[in-house]
Amino acid sequence: MKTMMILGALCLIFVFVWERVDVVRLGYQIERLKAQKILLERERDQLQVRFSGLTAPERIAKVATEKLGLIPPQQGQVFMVRQLPQAPASASPVAEQIRVARNIQKTRAGE
Amino acid sequence: MSPSRSRRYFMLLLLLCGFGGILFRLVTLQVLQAAELTARADRQHQKSVTFEGARGAVTDRHGKVLAMNMEVPSVFGVPTALESPAATARHLSPVLHVRRDELEKKLRQDKSFVWLARKVEPEQGQRLERLSLDGIGVVMEGRRFYPKGPLLAHVLGFAGMDGQGLEGLERRYESQLHGEKRVTILQRDALGRTVFPKGLSEKAPAPGHALTLTIDEVIQYVAEKELEEAVNHARAKGGTIIVMDPQTGAILGMAVSPRFDPNAVASLTPDRWRNRALTDTYEPGSTMKVMVAAAALEEKVMMPGTMLFGENGRMVVASTTIHDHEKMGWMTFAQMIQKSSNIGAAKTGMALGEQRLYRYLQSFGFGQRTDIDLPGEVSGLLKPPKDWGRRSLASISMGQEIGVTALQMVSAIAAIANNGVMMKPYVVSEIRDEKGMLVKEVMPQVKRRVVSPETARTLTTILEGVVTDGTGAKAAIPGFRVAGKTGTAQKIDPRTGTYSNTQFIGSFIGYVPAESPRLAVIVVIDEPQGEAWGGVVSAPVFRRVGEQVLNYLGVSRDDQIKIALATDRNVRE
Repeated sequence: MKTMMILGALCLIFVFVWERVDVVRLGYQIERLKAQKILLERERDQLQVRFSGLTAPERIAKVATEKLGLIPPQQGQVFMVRQLPQAPASASPVAEQIRVARNIQKTRAGE
Repeated sequence: MSPSRSRRYFMLLLLLCGFGGILFRLVTLQVLQAAELTARADRQHQKSVTFEGARGAVTDRHGKVLAMNMEVPSVFGVPTALESPAATARHLSPVLHVRRDELEKKLRQDKSFVWLARKVEPEQGQRLERLSLDGIGVVMEGRRFYPKGPLLAHVLGFAGMDGQGLEGLERRYESQLHGEKRVTILQRDALGRTVFPKGLSEKAPAPGHALTLTIDEVIQYVAEKELEEAVNHARAKGGTIIVMDPQTGAILGMAVSPRFDPNAVASLTPDRWRNRALTDTYEPGSTMKVMVAAAALEEKVMMPGTMLFGENGRMVVASTTIHDHEKMGWMTFAQMIQKSSNIGAAKTGMALGEQRLYRYLQSFGFGQRTDIDLPGEVSGLLKPPKDWGRRSLASISMGQEIGVTALQMVSAIAAIANNGVMMKPYVVSEIRDEKGMLVKEVMPQVKRRVVSPETARTLTTILEGVVTDGTGAKAAIPGFRVAGKTGTAQKIDPRTGTYSNTQFIGSFIGYVPAESPRLAVIVVIDEPQGEAWGGVVSAPVFRRVGEQVLNYLGVSRDDQIKIALATDRNVRE
């Protein structure tokens, strides 16, 4: 009985010490993960800033005109097309309209 | 007393003294010095750190990021820990792009902490870490970035080194944008490493709220590009373009020239970042005739067909002579607006009378702030009739003796476009918290009805005539009905206090499509060289901006009869 009590007490002490050590270990792990999260968030923000800079209309217009030789559509070159109600909803109505208009132009050019 | 007994008493006394000493020490440590010692232990084992949530982002109406925070390195030095400040400064100078002697001076100070360079580029921080110099450290701080550079800079404003909003929206919405500040206690181990915060339930400080603007970055770009081209072409001092949705008062674009980059404001003067669209007043000249005409039509003082005599281009008022840019005889009221006759406008004002004209100008919002959600707006200048001179009625009717902002003018023309109802202009449409939940939604706000729908419609027809047959021909956009008015105003020469013959402001206000307006636009060109007429310098800018923006918004043209019906099939193609 006495031995059992001593063993029980030793087990309790072991569990207590193990629990304390584990708390500290988990504390370090949490800190490591937090640091990793901060680094990832920092990288995300850097990419977001870079993305926003790269998609600036001024830059796109410069690349389009200077590198690709594109010019803004001239008078009469843009056709707005109304979609039928049953047509699937598009994410960007303007983009869809222009795409359709281009299709029409292609068809006409082929005629 | 036996010797053994006295030894026992002696031992007992010794033990009592020993325990008494221990007890005394315990009371001293645990009771008397408890607070001080606990604080000292806390200082050794705990670290108090102030965390600040990131400043909220600013996006355009489609969620495109216009301003956001990013953590970047700041470099500090510990002069007391340096062996050779000169050598350290020599290593740092090429990395930080700061002069060596400047760095050395800082590092020689008798301080335990000095900032050497704050909020530098991430690459500079990485290079410094590779150098691993003793007594030099790097901490991360939030820096405000404006990834689109000068785009919308005058509206956005900028934040200072410590992250507080100093100008524009950054200043106006400081309380919403700035992140929460929170002091957190961190436990440190024997090596000084952070273990975990005291109380794991503590949350990280909340970031600031994000703003969604009414501005469309594409429309803004179009306005800025066209304004820059016009200012450069006219060799002008500057200029302003505002594009507004007349039905809601939402500002779609607000361009001011010259531009500036909010990422690099240190070398600029406040004059450069002032939002002239709402801080600078000017005499509008003939564009004011629109409001005078609206008042005259509403009060039925004039009808479109009412005949006015142009006095052959010269009319004497209060011992001064009013001139027209061309000699005109009899003309209708509508022709008076279309040909922009000063004499006709003066006669219209006289027919209205001081009180009525003043009441309508007030109703159109002159002499008072529009209450747009941007800082620095001025109220302009509209004197009460008791302060008017003998010529004031005529002068104000043709846009002199009155100071307006570009924002007031576009709000006034937008009221005509919106069937006579004036809307409150605004630039922030939504405020959201860090989880994207809506905190505040700004709804369009009616200010008041200025004129009746009939008057607005009649005036629209007259203003269409300005573009088809009058001074605003260069504002015509093929396929669309445009209503507008040109204005050319002489500036006051600050040296003489009289109207200058060389410094002008050329402007154009208008809306399109006239029958169902989607855009109200003002173009103001300040001090153009050469031909300064509003119809020459500003009207073409209106056309170019209007054409591109209408295309972008997908507004169908009048002459576009060829409407193809897109079927389910060809949409998928």
